[in-house]
Amino acid sequence: MRSALAFAAVCALAVLAPRTVEAQPAPYEGKTVTIVVGYKPGGGYDATARLLARHLPKHIPGSPTIIVQNMPGANSIIGANHVYAVAKPDGLTLGTFNRNLPIAQLLSVRGVKFDMTKFAWIGSASSEATILAIRSDLPYKTFADLLKAKEPVVVGTTGPGANTHDFPLLIKEFLGANLKIVSGYSSSSDIMLAIERKEVDARAGSYSSMARFIDRKLVHPVIRARASEPGIEQLPVDEALAPNPRAKTIMALRSAPEIIGRPYVMPPGTPDQLVRTMREAFAKVVNDKELIAEATKAKMSLEYINGDEALKVMKEVLAQPKDIVDEFAKYIKFGE
Amino acid sequence: MIEAFVEGLVLVLQWKAFAFMLLGIGLGFWVGLLPGLGGATTLALMLPFIYTMQPVEAFAFLLGMHAVVATTGDITSVLFGVPGEATSAATILDGYAMTKKGEAGRALGAALASSLVGALVGAFALALAIPVVRPLVLTFGSPELFMLAIVGLAFIASLSAQGGRGMLRGFLAGGLGLFVATVGQDPQAGIARFTLDTLYLWQGLDLVPVLVGIFAIPEIVDLAVRGSSIAGDRPQGRLGRGALEGVKDTFRHFGLTIRCSLIGTFIGIMPGLGGSVAQWIAYGHATQSAKNAQELEGFGAGDVRGVLGPGAANNSKEGGSLIPTVAFGVPGSTSMAILLGGFFLMGLVPGPDMLTTHLVVTFSMVWTIVIANVITVGVCFLFLNRLAALSAVRGQLLIPVILVLVFIGSYTANNHYGDLIVTLVFGAIGYLMVGAGWPRAPFVLGLVLGKIAENYLYISVARYGAAWLARPVVLVLIGVALVVIVYPLVQARRARTRKGAHA
Amino acid sequence: MPSKASLALALGIMVLAGWGVFSTFSWPWKAALFPLVIGIPLFCMAAAEVLWVLFGSTARSEAMDFQLSTDLPARVVLRRTLLAMAWIAGFFAAIVLLGFPVAVPLLVFLYLKVPGGERWGLSLVFTVAVWAIFYGLFDRLLHLPFPDGLIVTWTGFG
Repeated sequence: MRSALAFAAVCALAVLAPRTVEAQPAPYEGKTVTIVVGYKPGGGYDATARLLARHLPKHIPGSPTIIVQNMPGANSIIGANHVYAVAKPDGLTLGTFNRNLPIAQLLSVRGVKFDMTKFAWIGSASSEATILAIRSDLPYKTFADLLKAKEPVVVGTTGPGANTHDFPLLIKEFLGANLKIVSGYSSSSDIMLAIERKEVDARAGSYSSMARFIDRKLVHPVIRARASEPGIEQLPVDEALAPNPRAKTIMALRSAPEIIGRPYVMPPGTPDQLVRTMREAFAKVVNDKELIAEATKAKMSLEYINGDEALKVMKEVLAQPKDIVDEFAKYIKFGE
Repeated sequence: MIEAFVEGLVLVLQWKAFAFMLLGIGLGFWVGLLPGLGGATTLALMLPFIYTMQPVEAFAFLLGMHAVVATTGDITSVLFGVPGEATSAATILDGYAMTKKGEAGRALGAALASSLVGALVGAFALALAIPVVRPLVLTFGSPELFMLAIVGLAFIASLSAQGGRGMLRGFLAGGLGLFVATVGQDPQAGIARFTLDTLYLWQGLDLVPVLVGIFAIPEIVDLAVRGSSIAGDRPQGRLGRGALEGVKDTFRHFGLTIRCSLIGTFIGIMPGLGGSVAQWIAYGHATQSAKNAQELEGFGAGDVRGVLGPGAANNSKEGGSLIPTVAFGVPGSTSMAILLGGFFLMGLVPGPDMLTTHLVVTFSMVWTIVIANVITVGVCFLFLNRLAALSAVRGQLLIPVILVLVFIGSYTANNHYGDLIVTLVFGAIGYLMVGAGWPRAPFVLGLVLGKIAENYLYISVARYGAAWLARPVVLVLIGVALVVIVYPLVQARRARTRKGAHA
Repeated sequence: MPSKASLALALGIMVLAGWGVFSTFSWPWKAALFPLVIGIPLFCMAAAEVLWVLFGSTARSEAMDFQLSTDLPARVVLRRTLLAMAWIAGFFAAIVLLGFPVAVPLLVFLYLKVPGGERWGLSLVFTVAVWAIFYGLFDRLLHLPFPDGLIVTWTGFG
């Protein structure tokens, strides 16, 4: 009798056990995931996406193929609209776009069809540290020196809507620095050339894009925004120098999206399980040795900021009261 | 420096680097040929593959691919009237016209030979200009670049037909181009100009869909109307001989070919002028070599000089635009920006170092351009007969293929249907222009130079007040612009007095 | 034809330039300057052309560009021109309604058969070849996004 019971118990275990040991078949098995990039090939967002596309499959159960599709237009609003409204929330589409899109939504730019807080956030693949750097042969070595400048310091920019333009604009308006903003350069490299020509004295932009010019001692940074990177932690932060709380809020508002430097989302309504899988994959891939090797060669540095934090920043940005938004809109336009 | 020159050649000739270069050439051949495969896009797509290569191999691959695109782009322009690349559009005007006259072989031979000459000039400019380039580029600031754009626009006068009426229409076309260039968000105040409330027009009109529409569509309609092959049932003659004739033409007009190569190199060196300008200015210059009114009217109807000019310029520009990329780390065009990414992958820092510590790598790039072009032109000449024979194929077979290429070529600019609409709209405009006898070249010139002119004007005024007008180079360029505008009038006067003398 | 086309173009430009100049009135001067500097002369030149066409001599200026073929009777030219334009527009409509991957082989096949009058065999082979190259290169290799045609979206087929 006891042996019969034992036998029955063993049978029961034999039947039940595999179901707990053998997990569900990986949902990504044999599938193709598409990353929609809001820019043409060749830019920073595209390069990051392609780098991730090469190394993510190892960290996703089922090892799907990942391809990149470019959907440029309207500074990635078109791509974001697509991921928001057209792409199916089946976990097979990711989107990456301009980090300043929450500002576009905040300023009610026409054509914006998305709501940043409703995307299924995966997170960000890096944060962007913005600095203002001035030509090394000028007599101003620190920001304090700059504030005392008698002659206007010429800052070259591409146009409203880019951090090269908005960052120094706010510094000029609120911190009283004697800056003259000259816009219209077609790209940041043209501005660097203008600096060499002494046509322009300074440029603002991401630390990573200027690192090699700083190393070459062409320019040196004097002030930075909230996000930081190794090498520039000592610089004064623009918000910290703000003369009043309103100025501080506006500067913080401008720089908030920069922490979510390379945003990655999935369409609204994507099942939580798939979002979680993707978030885990992202968290793992930034520590992937091969990815780090490639990224270092390409002078990119990736770090994972998780989706919840990204969503928090989005909500903060979009919850600003109307009077702040109106004041903000006086200085900052969303643009190219 | 001589040792670096030779060492660079040795580096390129190593087995592995050479093999990769051949691979790049093979790829670039098709990229240039097919509209829809842009040189810049493909470069970006290829970047990941070079992670595992050595620096010289990677460059042999990337440059081999890139150097060839400008050459094969001319082939599609000449044979089908569809721009294979945005930089090959000017070759259509006379190249395709020659094909229609049954001279496809000659046109191809001229395009290929002039491309080779241009590439060589550009490559050696890269080599020779190295000591001079820094001061040269540093002298050309925003005011000078603005004046260069004005000089470019002055060529509209040369590209117009003769007489007051001709000039009026030329300037109308140019003005329309300038106007269309203002569509999009302006970089001064951030206003969305003429965007018709669409997101698509925010960034302005992309060049490729417009070019494809304005050039290819009227030709397709005309081909359908004629109902024959492109060459119109004319006897082809021995195509091989035609190609040789084209090569001879290149040397018959060697001065022009060299001058246009130099124009292309110079414009390539000036970062910020854009890649499509060189060919049109070269074309404008080529028309200035017409000796009388009759010859002038021959342009656009199949004058080989109209092929030589742009053919040389769009290749030499490539060597030229490598110079600021290498010497300053400032890319002169989108393709260069991507190549720059390749530099970083290889751990090379473009800048003054490339002209000193890494001079050998720089020279290996020069050699890559030279060898890649020699190989490509050689291979093309082998297939020339078969290529030229396409112009004898029934139009009915070709039209659907060309149409597919047109639509895909236009679509892949932005992966947006808006581009297709742009192509259709400008196709209609192009058709009307051709029917009305308006020249299309000034339109393209206006479109390409409009944004540049506006931006640099604002920068110049914001930075220098009114003082920029008195800068020496600016004054020289004002003079050049005046000469360019007046020259066709002088040409006309000379032609009239000659006619009068003979009467 | 030439003068009619010229008139159409010039009138079109007048309208465009006029609208453009008018739009600039609500913009800050920095954004308005260039369009104004171009638009006003453009309007005047277009007006001059219109007047010239209507009241001037009919002498046509030879542009340095290609001329449309004139060796066929005008009626044939007109019919074939309209037909060609219809095909082009039709291709565009097919792309939008059916999506690129379907529109391409459809157009190639139809054009070869109907105006082309080619044999079935040749048409099919040619179509398949073109479609294979298109699909292989642009879809498989480059992963270009080709949206489904509108009809597919409306009927939920895709």
